[in-house]
Amino acid sequence: MVSYILRRLLSTIAVMTMVGIFVFLLLRLAPGDPADIIAGDRATPEMVAGIREQLGLNEPMPVQFVHWALSIVSGDFGTSIFTGYPVLQLISQRLEPTISLSILTLSLSVTVGISFGILAAWRTGGFIDRVLTAFAALGFSVPVFVIGYFLIYFLAISMHWLPVQGYEPIDHGFGPWFVHLILPTLALSFPYVAYFARIVRTSMLEVLSEDYMRTAAAKGASSYSMLFHHALKNAGVPILTVIGMSVAYLISGVVITETVFNIPGVGRLVVDAINNRDYPIIQGVLILVSGLYVLINLAVDLAYTLIDPRIRY
Amino acid sequence: MTISRRDVIKIGMAAGAALSIPSVLRAQTTAAGARTVRMVKAADLRVFDPVVETSNVTIDHSLAIYDMLFSLDAKLTPQPQMVEKWGISEDKKTYTFELRDGLSWHDGTPVTAADCVASIRRWVQVPGGQLLMERAKDISRKDDKTFTIALKEPLGLLINLLATNSGQPLFMMREKDASRPATEQVTANIGSGPFRFNEALAKPGSSFTYDRSEKYVPRKEPSDGLAGGKIVKVDRVIWDNIGDTQTAFAALQAGEIDYVEQPPVDFYSTIENDSNLALQVLDKTGWVLCMRMNCLQKPFDNVKARQAMLHLIDQEAFLRVAVPDPRYGQTVTSLFGNGTPYSNDENTGWFKKGGDPEKAKQLLKESGYSGEKVVILQPTTIAWINDAAQLLAATLRKVGVNAELAPSDWGGLAARRANKGTVENGGWSIFITSDSGYGLTDPFGEVFLSANGDKGWYGWPKNDEYEALRAKWADVETLDERKALAREMQKIWWDFVGDVYLGQTLRPIARRKTLSGMIEMPGGFIPMWDMEKA
Repeated sequence: MVSYILRRLLSTIAVMTMVGIFVFLLLRLAPGDPADIIAGDRATPEMVAGIREQLGLNEPMPVQFVHWALSIVSGDFGTSIFTGYPVLQLISQRLEPTISLSILTLSLSVTVGISFGILAAWRTGGFIDRVLTAFAALGFSVPVFVIGYFLIYFLAISMHWLPVQGYEPIDHGFGPWFVHLILPTLALSFPYVAYFARIVRTSMLEVLSEDYMRTAAAKGASSYSMLFHHALKNAGVPILTVIGMSVAYLISGVVITETVFNIPGVGRLVVDAINNRDYPIIQGVLILVSGLYVLINLAVDLAYTLIDPRIRY
Repeated sequence: MTISRRDVIKIGMAAGAALSIPSVLRAQTTAAGARTVRMVKAADLRVFDPVVETSNVTIDHSLAIYDMLFSLDAKLTPQPQMVEKWGISEDKKTYTFELRDGLSWHDGTPVTAADCVASIRRWVQVPGGQLLMERAKDISRKDDKTFTIALKEPLGLLINLLATNSGQPLFMMREKDASRPATEQVTANIGSGPFRFNEALAKPGSSFTYDRSEKYVPRKEPSDGLAGGKIVKVDRVIWDNIGDTQTAFAALQAGEIDYVEQPPVDFYSTIENDSNLALQVLDKTGWVLCMRMNCLQKPFDNVKARQAMLHLIDQEAFLRVAVPDPRYGQTVTSLFGNGTPYSNDENTGWFKKGGDPEKAKQLLKESGYSGEKVVILQPTTIAWINDAAQLLAATLRKVGVNAELAPSDWGGLAARRANKGTVENGGWSIFITSDSGYGLTDPFGEVFLSANGDKGWYGWPKNDEYEALRAKWADVETLDERKALAREMQKIWWDFVGDVYLGQTLRPIARRKTLSGMIEMPGGFIPMWDMEKA
């Protein structure tokens, strides 16, 4: 087990290196130049050329890459081309909102989604199943921004119950933090609840049709015991995989939700950086997120052993 | 079913709790207090240094934290701001400036003449100060409060140059900041202006906070445009970067923010129907929508082809795309825009309501146009330009031009427009942009109004006769003389067609009615002093 974990951790470095090279090349080869954007619309070509020189963008690409790679190895992710702020500081400013939104969304989605999935599987073909299946289809079909605007209109503008937008750090108090996250969490949870409900329903139906479930029923096991002690545990591996991938997706940024609710998260940071061609930020975020993906996958793989003792590493 | 007394009590308590939730939540989401103003700017502040970046948001940031030697009043006349006294030698070649008392940087150190000299020396390295660079013999400090600018020859425009907000305005910075090269950003954000930049609360891409500078000593004169006493009437101003305009508008309606700089045009009627909100045009000179043609490459290297574009354009059609509400759009025929001191009607006979496609076809034929590809850069991230580019392509195709759209984001456009080559080699033929009407009052500083070929701005029009007139602008001293010169320049411009205007728009800001005292000023700059919140 220990050697497996070490191997996986080492693979993280390889993945981050490949992502680094790929992102570096992609950014340099894409059209657009940060110097143009810094100088603004009314800048002369001479001004742009001066800024390019200052930023070191005229150096050969391999030289730029070596400079950047050496900085990364020494823990220096560089500074934003535009604001001059350290990239790590900018990312750390954005992590709290993103992690907060992710945790609340996952908590709500996992709780409600798994419950709906179990309920639908238990009552398969019945009224509840049909209603929940219809809800799941709706959750997938309606874009998050539509749900977001809908919630803003009714709960924030019409009822004045909740704030339209923004984020309050948790150190300003739990109340303001939570209140600002209710609408984005509801909007973002909608597709995740639908997704989890469908996955859980399918997995549960598969398990419920197994012979050992019929045996359990013949032995007089209660519905509760069958669903939660026998079926759910055996259906757990695919569910855990899906939840793990969702965590990684949420952490890497949910741009639309962050934009609609004006949450200063990682997703918006990287999209703004792409629009501005702020290379150090884009590179920094993508490298860290790629590392995070690998670590979350590792955590999910290890968690399999907890719910399924047959799995060994 | 029977209902017990206990059930009634339980139901009552539950209902009470449910009804109290909204008020609890509302209390937690109350908008900022009366001493804090929350604003959503038209663009995110990305670059702090006004010498490096020329955007309005950077200038607004600089107006807040820095101060200027001279400032323009509402009539665009320069007035002393940091300067107490100034004089000019008899031969008009030496200017002496004395700083007023009470000026200090936000780090507590006093503003000295050495700071001003360093700031001017840095500024003359960029186009905004280029004219002074050419004319200055010496810029030096005399004592802690006095400095001089010695010229090789008289420069009638000098005080205007020091006061202008067009292009790259001259803001005073600390000597140690201003000693940096002009291409290297100053990010210290320590000025001597009426607001202090709150570094601790700065969240780039999300919000910036400006606090009233307790140490700032305003001038005694009443506020007038950007001149006079800059009296700050709030404690704090926060710029929220809300990327989604729908969300920004909803936040304005809900009272979470006080001001939206550029509300989408389709929200105008909703704003006007909301008793808590108001639209206000702060900049009466607005923005001139402009089409730049690549004068170095076919077909627009031929003046007849450019004249064809001038005759072809139906400005009203483009205005409908850019600003559907006719109250905020108008046709424009003067090179210097509508409503500026230099607006005039010289050589504007080309204008025809609805455009003149037949004349355009004839001119294209005379130009020898033979179906060369015309590439229109289309920035899909900027809605009005994206739409206008499509309309332009359709308009060109109607007169037989082989128009092709090249979609990209603005960053892609900005990179491609620097390519002077043919369209086959990654070049371009046309892109659409806009310039402030106020900027057009400064032919010397405004890059759009240059015609110095490949040394100039994108499109690179060239006309030596026009440039000779533009060079005179610096030495003309009176307004009437400048007006006469403007007519001569315009006459030539519309003959060689340096660019083509698509209309002029006004961009009202949206604010809650509790916010008042916004300064009306040409240029679209938003100073934050005088502003009050009830």
